Amino acid sequence: MKLTKLGLAAGIALGALMVAGPAMAQVTLKIWSIDGVDRVGIADTFSKEFDEQNEDIVVEYRGIAFDDLVNETLRAFATGNAPDIVSFDNPDFAMFSSRGAMLDITDRIAASEVIKAENYFEGPMNSVTWDGKYFGIPKYTDTIGVFYNKDLFAKAGITEPPKTWAQLTEYAEKLTDPANNVYGATFSARAGEEGTFQFLPIIQMSGGGYDNVNTDGAAEVLDLWKKMIDNGWASRDVLSLGQWDSTGTFNSGNAAMAISGPWEIDRMVEDAKFDWGVALLPTITEGGDRSSALGGFDWGIMSTTKHPDEAFRALEYFAAQDHRIFEEFGNIPARSDIELPVTGVALKDEALKVFQEQLQYAQPRGPHPEWQKISKAIFDAMQQALTGQMSAKDALDQAQATIKGITG
Amino acid sequence: MTRTYTPWALLAIALALAAVYLFPLYWMYVTSLKSGSEIFANPPSFWPAAPNANIYADVWARRTMSTFLWNSVIIASGVTAITVILGTGCAYVLARYRSAWIDLGLFAILMLQVLPASVMITPLFVGFNQIGLLNYPRTAVVLAAAAKAMPFFVVLVRATFMSVPRELEEAALVDGNSRVGAFFFIVLPLARNGILVCAILTFMSAFGEYIYSKSIIQSPLLQPASVGLSGFLGPNSSDWNAIMAYSAIYVTPILLVFVILQRRIVSGLTSGALK
Amino acid sequence: MAKFFNSLRDGVGFDLILVGAAMVFLLALAGLPLVYNVLMSFQQVDMFTLGQLIRPFAGISNYVAVVQQPEFWMVTRNTLVFVVGSMAGQFVLGFALAVFFAQKFPGAATIRGLFLVSWVMPGLVVGAIWSWILAGDFGVLNSILRGLGIIQSNIFWKSDPSFSIWAVIIANIWLGLAFNMLLLSVGLAAIPRDLYEAAELDGANAWQRFWTITLPMMRSTIGAVLSLGLIGTLQQFDLFPALTEGGPANTSNVAGYWSWQLSFQLYDFAKGATVSVMMFVLVLFASILYVRSTRHEVRG
Repeated sequence: MKLTKLGLAAGIALGALMVAGPAMAQVTLKIWSIDGVDRVGIADTFSKEFDEQNEDIVVEYRGIAFDDLVNETLRAFATGNAPDIVSFDNPDFAMFSSRGAMLDITDRIAASEVIKAENYFEGPMNSVTWDGKYFGIPKYTDTIGVFYNKDLFAKAGITEPPKTWAQLTEYAEKLTDPANNVYGATFSARAGEEGTFQFLPIIQMSGGGYDNVNTDGAAEVLDLWKKMIDNGWASRDVLSLGQWDSTGTFNSGNAAMAISGPWEIDRMVEDAKFDWGVALLPTITEGGDRSSALGGFDWGIMSTTKHPDEAFRALEYFAAQDHRIFEEFGNIPARSDIELPVTGVALKDEALKVFQEQLQYAQPRGPHPEWQKISKAIFDAMQQALTGQMSAKDALDQAQATIKGITG
Repeated sequence: MTRTYTPWALLAIALALAAVYLFPLYWMYVTSLKSGSEIFANPPSFWPAAPNANIYADVWARRTMSTFLWNSVIIASGVTAITVILGTGCAYVLARYRSAWIDLGLFAILMLQVLPASVMITPLFVGFNQIGLLNYPRTAVVLAAAAKAMPFFVVLVRATFMSVPRELEEAALVDGNSRVGAFFFIVLPLARNGILVCAILTFMSAFGEYIYSKSIIQSPLLQPASVGLSGFLGPNSSDWNAIMAYSAIYVTPILLVFVILQRRIVSGLTSGALK
Repeated sequence: MAKFFNSLRDGVGFDLILVGAAMVFLLALAGLPLVYNVLMSFQQVDMFTLGQLIRPFAGISNYVAVVQQPEFWMVTRNTLVFVVGSMAGQFVLGFALAVFFAQKFPGAATIRGLFLVSWVMPGLVVGAIWSWILAGDFGVLNSILRGLGIIQSNIFWKSDPSFSIWAVIIANIWLGLAFNMLLLSVGLAAIPRDLYEAAELDGANAWQRFWTITLPMMRSTIGAVLSLGLIGTLQQFDLFPALTEGGPANTSNVAGYWSWQLSFQLYDFAKGATVSVMMFVLVLFASILYVRSTRHEVRG
């Protein structure tokens, strides 16, 4: 009897608290990410929903261009204007978490009903882990494969997508048709993170890694890439095009194969006026080791936040929406407990299957606090080899020396 | 014979040169009017097959250009005001004397604008943060950009003051004017044209200010048009007709003002203040 | 005290106020950041100490590290090519246009006015337009050159290492042409007509008149144009992100952009500051040239 009374009293008190909620001082959460700058995405949509559903919290959302996000955050952090929640590309996360700029949320995750560490894929979860502690949660994940134009393949008498890089090069030659402005293949070897993103998997499948880049296999494939560019089987512009642009030429029918990821699918369904498919990234030798890049963003709370509880509630809300992100935004949740629904768009569902298989081979970049410098060494070597300034082997050796200086 | 034909031949050459020079602008307008697939036609068409002007309205609304352009106007006005007020007096003094100190002053002014804005931004950001100016981001941008614009303004306006005959100022002083009076009532009116022209040019340059705004102004509601443009100019730009439409909307007003005022601008700068 | 106020109204004090206000403003907003950069180039800097002034002293180790970067010499070479190429192009074309439009023919002033539009164009917009004109596969420049039979296959302006720096130079020449032409026109207009008439009477031809009258009389203008051009060229930033991003493989990277990359892409603020200080020394030299050139000015 006494217990019930106590429960009742607690209930009333809680009720009073909830009613009093809106009258209390509102908490403002600043959330930064790249979404919403050029198209609607996860962060801007969910931030708005979270803002509307919580009377006691006001969300100030700010979309920042991909290239500016890290250094805007860095400067804001250094001057005490950091946001509460920020969403970084996964290789950038370690720079912040290793230096104490992110809030350790290990205990909160352990206590959470919504966020469970074991539900996440290992690679993405590694990117938010530093020193055995969790500093964030994955937002979504992605990887790369080979998109191919089935109509052009049929015209050239090729039945199967390429299995090895040598085969991809051979097909690229066959598919190239200058009279109709068709290149055999396109990819992004840009001087930036995207270039590393596309090239690092090759180092990995040759037995190397970000701290061991000068493998023979990587040099071999780099020479194949150079051959494609020099012979006009791939546009020389792959050296400056980003992935979205590069795949744009595939969609318009100007390239027969494109290396890119699932974020392209929605646009491709719209734009591509031909039959297309996706294949796993080729290997170096037939049946050889597979690898692919692990992309995707992470959520994290900055250590300077004054409202860690509310910020974590926001993360919980975002995580609870993970089942929506593939259908609405074409992003793949980094979770094993979510069964992706069939969208009914045959091409999209087919492509997703391949990418889900590819994800099993995806390896993270880093985590390393000085990832940007390692990444630059890798894409510099790639570009030096592709432009003929150095042989592939020499360029990779030089990169190895630079990276050794960074990792120690 | 030659005497009658030469001017017309020169005019023809001038028009040809202008056509080459203005081609990039022409290409901007033409591209903006093309459809998505026509942009990637090979060889490109030099006149859009089906000009579609709807894109202007579309880009204007979708990119909230009215807000962006309004902010650009505010920032450019602020920069111009500060530059003119502080720069004119400075240029006047630097033109008035001829000594090692003046050389040093000119030298210092030039040296102070050596570093690219891209490098200056970190210290400025840190400094503005210390004095709390980051809460007034547009003001902060105005101050930073004015410091960038001033040296240029001073050098140009100084040349204008050089062409004001010193005798006129001295005569005014003999007539009992104070230095202040002589400056405001004799020298300034005489240099008015040159100053006005330099002010217009300062305004137009500040209208395109990019780096400071991008780094200092966080709220999209306060950002100028240049930052709005960079938002979709990034590495993944293939939306060329929209980019060109945005650019066209952005620069057409300043180009129009410029074309209307250009005679005045050119004469103001070429013939000095008096002639 | 009265003397003091008097001087403000009527003497050197007035001049000092006018110069002083501008100087204080410039020192605060341009001088202090400069000092901060010089300071950073001798310190160890990371994201946590960005907002402080006192940081671990690094001696000249940042300078040594910058010179030892594999791309250092390539960036130095590119910077020279970019500066010399841009300035030469802007100056020669600007001068030629200025002389051309100094001739008397119908519409000369109006058409010359059109040549000033690039001055008022935002750098970012100019970069976007040229990026599209110079595109490898769909760029209009390639298509024109092919049509004229000058090239057989497309030139990949932005991604061919032998052309990438020229892609930026071409855009920069276009951007800077207006300013050069205008200032040189001002200089030309200031040369007294009767000098030419006298020379013509003496039988000097156009070429001789240009060398013996125009060039010497324009000395100070040329000095000003060149040194302002140097500063403008070294400051050029907006074109790089829009065109080549310094690539491929740094073949179009120049000091100003490299410094920004080091600071804001690799987050190595000390090295970024070090490169900027090196540039500063270069421009110091240019400014000396400019100030020397003003010695020859005549007050009208």
